[in-house]
Amino acid sequence: MRRLGDLEAEIMDRFWTWDRPATVREVVDDINKHRPVAYTTVMTVTNILYNKGWLLRGKQGRAWLYSPVRSREAYAAALMEDGLGASKDRPAALIHFVENMSDEEVAALRKALRNVGRQAKS
Amino acid sequence: MNAAPVLVGYTAAIGFAAPYLLLRSRWPHRAPALAAAVWHALAVSFAIGAALAAYNLAMPTEHLHAGLVGLLHSCGLHVDTGRPDPDTAHQLAVALPVAIGAALLASFAFHVVRARRARGRHRQAVDLVGRRSARLRATVLPYDTPAAYCLPGRRPRIVVSDAAVRQLTREQLGAVLEHERAHIAGRHHLALAAAEAFHSVFPRLPLARHAREQTALLLEMIADDRALRSHSHDALATAMYEMVASRAPKGAFAAGGHGALIRVQRILGPRRAPHPALWGSVAAAAVVVPLLPLLVACPPGLG
Repeated sequence: MRRLGDLEAEIMDRFWTWDRPATVREVVDDINKHRPVAYTTVMTVTNILYNKGWLLRGKQGRAWLYSPVRSREAYAAALMEDGLGASKDRPAALIHFVENMSDEEVAALRKALRNVGRQAKS
Repeated sequence: MNAAPVLVGYTAAIGFAAPYLLLRSRWPHRAPALAAAVWHALAVSFAIGAALAAYNLAMPTEHLHAGLVGLLHSCGLHVDTGRPDPDTAHQLAVALPVAIGAALLASFAFHVVRARRARGRHRQAVDLVGRRSARLRATVLPYDTPAAYCLPGRRPRIVVSDAAVRQLTREQLGAVLEHERAHIAGRHHLALAAAEAFHSVFPRLPLARHAREQTALLLEMIADDRALRSHSHDALATAMYEMVASRAPKGAFAAGGHGALIRVQRILGPRRAPHPALWGSVAAAAVVVPLLPLLVACPPGLG
């Protein structure tokens, strides 16, 4: 059973891959190559994405053309920085593997690795 | 007899002296789970001690000036009339410990709910932007430095950058992912929320400050140990180095502390579990410490 979030991801995936404004019809046709999906469903979910601020739209003739607000990479960078940096503020929300360190600390870390005869790739 | 002076002394010792004693010991890094339990036991003990001390201080005694009301009185804070009404004192005596308990519970709930909301928002975005990898059991985000974090909770996600997938060896990546899985499986976010809640209620208390910091570090060590069960020490240590070294230091965040350094030294150092006798007595202490204030306040046999 597919959830709404999955369809959202499928739709965004297409806009990001195409990297140009597209209509709901184009998205439906592309998804239909893999599985059947109703035009109205895609239309509704695209509207949700627009309302959530993920898509921009502009009218061309009678059809709405949608395009992503930001690139996938820009969103990913913002998410990563949120996940890695801002957790000082709310540590219980996201747990990251290593915190940010100063240059001296990184050097000390390298020394610790070298001391036991292991060569850290750099 | 009023147990207030003993309770105040005990609570102060737990809140101010105990953290330094624990920070100076060597065993916590060898038994991180036990140490995390001890920090939480100390926090519980402090809260119960403070609640009972408040009760005993506010309780009217034959000696008026021993009570909190008497203390307020002598400090120039006149509670209505010169002679405090025993009923008011009694209500105060009950209200104070209840307030401490309620504040702690409310703070815990607040932190849990706020963190869950933040995770929910973040997870939705991660699901849209990232690509799920069934092989890694993680979500991969396009990002040009190796990094990993996890969103614990009911619908957990492990997030890794595609640079981590490209640049780390299979063994290194496996160790990192196993570390994150340990956080999720151990529900470490709840222990963090508890330490955070305690710190919000007693922000200036050394015990609260250190318990919060140490809990975070000890949970990382617990996750490290878990990863080391199935991965080599080299893989985990070098993966940590790769991630730390490739990240550009940002002034504001650089004060993050030297947790990673302590962890790497620990991972590469000799592995020694604490002596069973030490382990046993610390574990026993962790169980008894929260009950101590109760024993002081209402000694068995005296009713």
